[in-house]
Amino acid sequence: MKLYFRILFILIFIYSSIPGYIFAENKNSDAIDFDFEIPEIEKKSYSFNAEFEISETIKRFDKDSLLFNQKYPDGRDGGTFFQTDLSFKVEGNYRISIVELYARLNDELYYNDEDDWKNDLKTEEAYVSLLPGPSTTVDVGKKVLKWGKGYAWNPVAFFSRPKDIEDPDVTLEGYYIAGGDFIKSIDSPLKTIALTPVILPVSSDINEEWGTEREIIWGGKIYFFTFDTDLDIMLLSGEEAEDRFGVDFSRNISGNFEIHGEAAIILDYVKYITDQQGNLAEKKYDAKNYLLGIRYLTSHDTTYIFEYFRNGQGYTRDEMKNYFALIEAGYQEYINSQSMAKLSKSRQYGSQFYNTQTVMKDYFYLKVSQKDPFDILYFTLSVAGIYNINDTSGSIMPQIIYTPITNFEFELKTTFLLGKNHTEYGEKINDYKVYAAIKYYF
Amino acid sequence: MKKALLTVFMCLCISAPAFALDGNEMLKKVDRNLNPESFEMYRKLINIEPDGSKKEFVMYSVKKDKDKIASVFLSPASEKGRSTLRIGENMWLYIPNVGKPIRITSLQSVTGGVFNNSDIMRVDYSTEYNCERVEPADAGHILHLKAKTNTVAYDRVKMRVSGKRLLPDKLECFASSGMLIKTLYFKKIKDFGNGIVRPAVIETDSPLYKGYKSIIIFAKVSAKDLPDEVFTLNYMSKVEGLRR
Repeated sequence: MKLYFRILFILIFIYSSIPGYIFAENKNSDAIDFDFEIPEIEKKSYSFNAEFEISETIKRFDKDSLLFNQKYPDGRDGGTFFQTDLSFKVEGNYRISIVELYARLNDELYYNDEDDWKNDLKTEEAYVSLLPGPSTTVDVGKKVLKWGKGYAWNPVAFFSRPKDIEDPDVTLEGYYIAGGDFIKSIDSPLKTIALTPVILPVSSDINEEWGTEREIIWGGKIYFFTFDTDLDIMLLSGEEAEDRFGVDFSRNISGNFEIHGEAAIILDYVKYITDQQGNLAEKKYDAKNYLLGIRYLTSHDTTYIFEYFRNGQGYTRDEMKNYFALIEAGYQEYINSQSMAKLSKSRQYGSQFYNTQTVMKDYFYLKVSQKDPFDILYFTLSVAGIYNINDTSGSIMPQIIYTPITNFEFELKTTFLLGKNHTEYGEKINDYKVYAAIKYYF
Repeated sequence: MKKALLTVFMCLCISAPAFALDGNEMLKKVDRNLNPESFEMYRKLINIEPDGSKKEFVMYSVKKDKDKIASVFLSPASEKGRSTLRIGENMWLYIPNVGKPIRITSLQSVTGGVFNNSDIMRVDYSTEYNCERVEPADAGHILHLKAKTNTVAYDRVKMRVSGKRLLPDKLECFASSGMLIKTLYFKKIKDFGNGIVRPAVIETDSPLYKGYKSIIIFAKVSAKDLPDEVFTLNYMSKVEGLRR
């Protein structure tokens, strides 16, 4: 079964890589009908859109890394991990008068060496909107609220799950909220003002990631468009959740040069820090996170996105060294006495606090993408890099995206993790990853 | 003799700005002849590659005043729901997957092909350009346009306007270096109703994209009253709801 899928995947991969014109239905440019009818003009009260993706992920384990030893203290057969994914994402909306229903489901069926076949169905969004006029919208249900101007990070995205830094554009799962948009355009230097209030209820049934007690978290965002600049001020307040405030901005300095920034403060943030023995300490402080970035387009259609991120909630170099020392000690203890005490502790701290992305204080992100290189239309070549300034480790991600056929997308991405011992990327479980996917939209 | 020279000089001084004013007035008329100030339209954009293969996009757009335009892609499925907004020189792209508007620039292209964002999100020519000179041409005029700021996509534009209807039939777009970036051909004048008579097809080619061609076909261009709130970031995900 496994081999069959690999072969099928490779065949589809080769098929979609054949130049687009082979599949083109009409190659005669003279056959354009200018007196055309556009079927899409007829508006329906409902619409559906779907995306089917087949992908293969190959990960090469770094068997000397601490996170490998933490997960596989007895070692592992084979140094490579394969996973085949079949994912189906469907979204639909239905509108009656001023009421609109919207839902997006994501079903992922995957097979790998460790889990065999597994299915993961998520309702990413499902909400009802009231749209009495262009200046007013009220939304109730599960919704994604993506705030902030940053590409790789959004410290002011108070009501969102964190982005995947290796794929910042991927859809996220929302939270159950009640919110709205109230927009006012003014004929003055302040051209637009928009208010987005948000209420997020927490209980054992919904939004349980936010706390254990029943409570209402509230917050909002005010947007201003003035002097060709986007400005937002946002806040979040709750009993269990730490209060937080933020601002962001974005502006074009010239036609091809944009700057953006975000700043947030989280009051009384509690950071959990382990020592080398596995004793956990709490540190309470006001965490300040901020981001500064640029987006620059050259005359040759090369786009540069560069960002600096200061993660006030992150760990210092010494704090991370202590965590790595705990794993190392736990692994040695297991080798010497088969005791899992320390290693289990490190696993628990890892899953709760340490083994997440962007876990330390200071990062650079750079993405360089070239559109239509070598005169190949609908082809994008890019390289993204993340650099941990504190321990000088990082990752490099070359990527190609090719869309030669309407509604088909072909993607190949590799990730190389680079760093010395006891550094964030040097101790990750993998040396490199390869991801190849074909997407079909309909 | 001195008196005669002085008279000629005075005449030139007076006539030059008057001629420029005529050019700018003519440009404003061209804008109004192309479309009402506040309107909606459907467009099919076709990119044609040298081998003849095509990629098509259908967009619904609304425009208000001289410098506000919002659009949403209706097809193909891979682009559906993407919307763009332009207010003056500010441009944003909203991608449903990304879930928030991002700023884009006039020289990029959300569709690929020869048309860039400035062509697709076209505002009134008189908003972006001053007419420096009008030159008589066969059955019309040639308007020599100069960008008002350096953020405009083309530094200079040579617009050939047919005399009878005062509609453009050819536009040559130049970079500040003087290099020809692209040529737009306005074709197939069509009566869209309610007094809107304009070219239904814009074709473009470019020496930078040898062998490639892009075409925009217009449909259902009609006047529409639109509130200002439609042209805001918060409304970008809802533009499709404006369709009748």
